Amino acid sequence: MPEAKQLFEQYYDALLRSARDPDMSLGLSRSVSAYRERKARALERFPHTVKLAEEVRHLKRECLERLDELVEKASASLKENGAQVYHAARAQDALKIIGQIIGSGKVVLSAKTLTGEEIGLRQYLEGLDNEFWETDIAQFIQQLREEKPMHYVYPSLHVTREEVARLLSKLLGREIPPDIPTEVRAIREFLRGKYFQADFGISGGNVIAADTGTIFLLESEGNIRMLTNVPPVHIALVGMEKVVPTLQDAFKVAEVTWRYAGFTIPLYVSLISGPSGTADIENTLVHGSSGPVELHVIFLDNGRSELAKDPILREALACIKCGSCLFECPVYQVAAGYYGGHAYFGGVGAILTAHVGGGLAEAAPIAYTCLRCGRCTELCPQQIDLARLMPELRHRITNAAKSK
Amino acid sequence: MKSTRPYTPPALHLISGNIARSGNPLGLKQSDCAAWAGDLHLPSQGTTILYTGCEYQMTAYLRSLVEVLKKVKFKDGLFSAFSAGGKLGTSLMKAYAKATSRESEHYNRILRMAASTLKKLGIDFAYLEEELYSGALLYEYGLFEEFEQQAKRVVRQFQEAGVKKIIALSPHSAEVFQQIYPNFISTFDLEVVPYVCVVAEALNKLDLKLSLPERLSLTLHDPCHLARSLKVTEAPREVLQSIANLDLRETALNRELTSCCGAPCETVFPELAEIAAAKRVEELATTGARAAVTLCPFCHSNLSRGAESAGKKIEIIDFIEVLYQALEASHA
Repeated sequence: MPEAKQLFEQYYDALLRSARDPDMSLGLSRSVSAYRERKARALERFPHTVKLAEEVRHLKRECLERLDELVEKASASLKENGAQVYHAARAQDALKIIGQIIGSGKVVLSAKTLTGEEIGLRQYLEGLDNEFWETDIAQFIQQLREEKPMHYVYPSLHVTREEVARLLSKLLGREIPPDIPTEVRAIREFLRGKYFQADFGISGGNVIAADTGTIFLLESEGNIRMLTNVPPVHIALVGMEKVVPTLQDAFKVAEVTWRYAGFTIPLYVSLISGPSGTADIENTLVHGSSGPVELHVIFLDNGRSELAKDPILREALACIKCGSCLFECPVYQVAAGYYGGHAYFGGVGAILTAHVGGGLAEAAPIAYTCLRCGRCTELCPQQIDLARLMPELRHRITNAAKSK
Repeated sequence: MKSTRPYTPPALHLISGNIARSGNPLGLKQSDCAAWAGDLHLPSQGTTILYTGCEYQMTAYLRSLVEVLKKVKFKDGLFSAFSAGGKLGTSLMKAYAKATSRESEHYNRILRMAASTLKKLGIDFAYLEEELYSGALLYEYGLFEEFEQQAKRVVRQFQEAGVKKIIALSPHSAEVFQQIYPNFISTFDLEVVPYVCVVAEALNKLDLKLSLPERLSLTLHDPCHLARSLKVTEAPREVLQSIANLDLRETALNRELTSCCGAPCETVFPELAEIAAAKRVEELATTGARAAVTLCPFCHSNLSRGAESAGKKIEIIDFIEVLYQALEASHA
């Protein structure tokens, strides 16, 4: 199929361009060293994290055995808290649901939703004539650059301050100097205006507790707190595999996620269980006090149930998206997010791209890029064994390629 | 998009075709694979064998193949063009022939050194001149059916020769025999030991004073499969540290945290393999050592290319060469 071959060629061209770009190498090597130092410091200060990661390893695998049950339980809890809950079988269904909630001509803000990247949410909502802004600074920059994200936690790790100054000057129609504090201030001023104009705030979810329906959101910029609190409606698009049984479990997953992402503590951890409410007048509950009036939670399947049944490749769903594998991968260290599909990166990204994010044709070149060197597994809190998984994925690819 | 049939790169077809026809990934003649052992008079029967898997032998030709693959990119029909002797096939043939005899001779010399070191350490072994490649690449490519067929052929050959124990010269073959064969052939129960473990154990028992003729600073590039899959990190260090006149300098990413040389993707994405190798060479060079030692022919070949593109900051040598020299000097 010429189409699949083109995907392969385009992928490699982009990857090689990145690997040969001196600016990219510089940005990457700085990011990698900074990450290593931060993570080492974080683990040194909180050494129990290593043991906790082991616990989370077992926990996440147990959860994969009962995805449907956990999602049902989380849905019931959220409904009880006043949220509206949806189940989207495929990407198209999720887009339709969100499209119906939002309509057109609205201002929509979003923050680091991998699931949004997975289903092409921004393009879809812009296609419905909505004004759409990413609010995480890295993703905001990436939106201005009209490119794909480069990392789960640090999406614009390869962009220099000079480039940011150029982008902002163009957007704002005034000269912004290549000075990082000035740049951040300019973005802050721009976005703060948007929070109060926005009709909708869209988030993902790092982990969800089934027993309480609580969505955990980890961040440092405060953008997630703003967009999940100021606009009248909050929409959360979460992957089914993010649900764990209890609030206590969710705390464990959250702590392991941020620690392996290189944080002692992210500056904000939001726990959202429903739309704002008050029972202050005659003890009668009314939703919509100072916070959002509505909370819509969409559980996204898009191949996850099927992948969870795969005895081998299901491992990929245990990934908590801390991104530590990426910084430690010899290919990622030169190619960044070009070693990945449109939403998910690296070796785990190859499996997710194959099963939830695009299909085998998009996943094939990513799968054949993995060196199977196993360095990522040594450093992965979930110890996802890519050296074992990758031949399995490739086997499916070669079988599909042979099939008539 | 989900229904689009995936594309698989031409290297897969070329290499699996070669293995099916010639028993090794590059389609080398059996006589070329066994040439190194020509005048060594190694026994061709025995319970313990030295297994080369034709890997060092093909390394000499790999560079030419990779140069061709760079030019070919993702042109379909590479395999058929090759076997039909079309234009592409002819240019491939020429490239194969261009594998300098010097390079081929270098790897053959390493093989002779491997045999010689084992003999010096009092280890009895045979060499199957008709030996087949393990099929490791087929497994890596996800060509499981083809892999299983090759594995069955290999096992049959071992059975017919009465093999009980394999001294695996490369980490790839050691890993694939030890960890992958049993998943495909449930009766596979041969003892598999990496070469470095065999020599380390023998040296432990012997009271030899190993020494290099002149002072040499070395750093060790742990091959991924050796350090992580096989969990062998100390055996090469014990041997190197026991050699007088050898200054072993550790690189930052060592042992189970070693960083890959990039070779695994060289047949599919050759330029990327070279960039990754250059990066690893830079890391190894920060030790200030004169040479980096590795224990895998693919690491050796790809790091050598990386050293060229990184401006030859460090020489890449094989562990076998170092041990051989040290044993020679201790012998004298």
